[in-house]
Amino acid sequence: MIKINNKSCTGCRICEIVCSMHHNRVVNSGKARVRVVTKWPWEDTPNLCRQCPKPKCVGSCSKGALTITAGHPVLDAGRCDKCLSCVEACPYDAIFTDPESGLPIPCDTCDGEYNCSQWCPNKVIEVID
Amino acid sequence: MNDYYGYTGKTLTVNLTTGTWMTGILPQELAVNFLGGKGFGAQILFDRLNSGVDPLSQENIMVFATGPLTGTPAPGSSRTVMSTKSPLTGLWLDSNCGGFFGPELKQAGFDILIIEGRAPEPVYILIENDRVEIRPAGDLWGQDTFKITEKLKARHGSRHMTACIGPAGEKMAPIAGIVSEYRTFARGGGGAVMGSKNLKAIAVKGNKDIKLNDPDIFMRVLKEVYDRLRTVSAIGGGRTRYGTNVILSSVNEAGIHPVRNFQKAVFDGRGRINEKELAEKYYVKNRACFSCPISCSKASKVAAGKYEGSFNEGPEYENVWAFGAQCGNSEMGAIIQAEYLCDKYGIDSISAGNITGFAMECFEKGLITEKEIGFSLKFGDDEAMLKFVELLGRREGIGELFSNGVASAAEEIGKGSGYFAIHVKGMELPAYDPRGVQGMGLAYATSDRGGCHLRAFSVGAEVLSPAGKMDPLGTDKKAEFIKNNQDLFAVIDSSGLCLFAASSMSLEFIVKLMEAATGIKDFGSTEEVMKIGERVYNQTRMFNVREGADRRLDTLPGRLLSEAMPDGPAQGHVVQLEPMLNEYYQLRGWDQKGIPDSATLERLKI
Repeated sequence: MIKINNKSCTGCRICEIVCSMHHNRVVNSGKARVRVVTKWPWEDTPNLCRQCPKPKCVGSCSKGALTITAGHPVLDAGRCDKCLSCVEACPYDAIFTDPESGLPIPCDTCDGEYNCSQWCPNKVIEVID
Repeated sequence: MNDYYGYTGKTLTVNLTTGTWMTGILPQELAVNFLGGKGFGAQILFDRLNSGVDPLSQENIMVFATGPLTGTPAPGSSRTVMSTKSPLTGLWLDSNCGGFFGPELKQAGFDILIIEGRAPEPVYILIENDRVEIRPAGDLWGQDTFKITEKLKARHGSRHMTACIGPAGEKMAPIAGIVSEYRTFARGGGGAVMGSKNLKAIAVKGNKDIKLNDPDIFMRVLKEVYDRLRTVSAIGGGRTRYGTNVILSSVNEAGIHPVRNFQKAVFDGRGRINEKELAEKYYVKNRACFSCPISCSKASKVAAGKYEGSFNEGPEYENVWAFGAQCGNSEMGAIIQAEYLCDKYGIDSISAGNITGFAMECFEKGLITEKEIGFSLKFGDDEAMLKFVELLGRREGIGELFSNGVASAAEEIGKGSGYFAIHVKGMELPAYDPRGVQGMGLAYATSDRGGCHLRAFSVGAEVLSPAGKMDPLGTDKKAEFIKNNQDLFAVIDSSGLCLFAASSMSLEFIVKLMEAATGIKDFGSTEEVMKIGERVYNQTRMFNVREGADRRLDTLPGRLLSEAMPDGPAQGHVVQLEPMLNEYYQLRGWDQKGIPDSATLERLKI
């Protein structure tokens, strides 16, 4: 489970940076699976997969490309036709698409490593067992 | 070298006269010899501008340059440096800004953005990866920076990062800054240069990769850097809690927090104007620039009293001084409101506060009258202070004269006001009185852009460090410290890092990150990068020398050289500039007129 303590978020985007470093070995916030939403002057909050018990993203996929593994959605890119119904279905707007491939990039928890949570200097993204 | 790492390897040049743009390859020699940011600006400006160019003519250019660490996971890697010829000083200007603009420019694929010429009508530039557009901005002209930022985000997307000017820039006030995501390329009048080009704003969005040469080593070093930042309490300590105001009380106690236009050093308002008061009563939330774990920025709000409802991101230490002690004001709400006005109209808050204090002294001495100003402008009158800042920002009434800066205003006013016009080379001094911290006297006098504390900063070493490494009232070893510090800061301002964040790291870590990011071996050596810093500082010196600057301009206001400090720990002292300056020139390899020797230029390959 993910808990977001948005009051402590400073908008620094370190979560986005380490996410794209982990998955793509580059900095590219467009490829991050977490995005910081900022409304100046004092609202910042990271947005990422909440690991819903009954995930609407999985249910929306007509190709069976999304499945749940270890509590989070996993994409079978071979089956995905990039219709992005999962992106639309997510009640948190927390599935993003890769700007190059056009594929949805749901959070994969870095295989349980949660780089965003680990690197966050303000403990905004909390992982709860 | 086509495969750039750290850098994108590409430049973008927009010519506003012809309405055209072109991309170019980042020259390898430029990267290797000048690193980035300020260094890029120093080389490009020297190459491209002829001496004597009017800063507000279409011949002047603006160089927005990132560094090899901008946009990387390094802490404080948010910086972009804007270099141009300053309308405030007529000399070299580099002005830098955090936030998100530089990292976004790099994700759009560019290390450098050069603006040339002048648009016939107001325009803004839209950059979306490889798509560049020069768009009409008639509907945006005249509006303040908050509205412009909001409008551009609504039009193009909340993730578009902007840099814009307010009414002050449009009217080419030499103290106008460029506001980017509620932060500012503030000093020296970059906003006026943008206004002279009819350029209201730049909006950029990119989604390209910022590639690192060795991501594994980079992330390993980064872990060590974070550990260090935690160990020295840069993360979660005083810097996080109080922001730049962490030094406020110490600077006050050291007797170097200038009061009422540098007339004294003991501020009777310090009981109400201090960092604890700010943190407890005004700070709402910590905010950070791109990739910064320190989050020195504070969103502040006034909850009660006469200024209830006022808010801003800030106020920073410099502004707490500028609209606090400098104006004899101890109303915190007015400080927050003054800073808000500076950001709204797009003016440099350090200059604006310094100027306001200067105008107050002129008024109290009877050199300007209530009739000329439109109201009484006494020290300590918070309402008058805000009215005056409005006039500066809108460049109206008496604000027209004063928004030219104190040097220019003193020339106009005459009657001996130049003696207490507190500037160097035309740029207003910030919040440290050098009579009580002698090294800063030399730092101000030899700063390449004029009166600035960010070209070398000896306050830490002279008064703030617990051991008190150097006697703040003596001149011993100051020249060496200032020279080395200037070279180091030139490195940091070229790297893409924030000075505040970088000062908690060490150069050893910075070079490791730069080498891992770029793969350029020399960048991994502290000795080699310090040579680059020295080269950059000599290059900006040569820019100024070409404009006719020499020792005569490396000086301080009369008050600081001849009027003994009346109170506080530095009581009885003036700045002993000459001996420090002689030694400094010698260490720099400059002659006694302050001109770099040919041997020095040869050694540095300039």
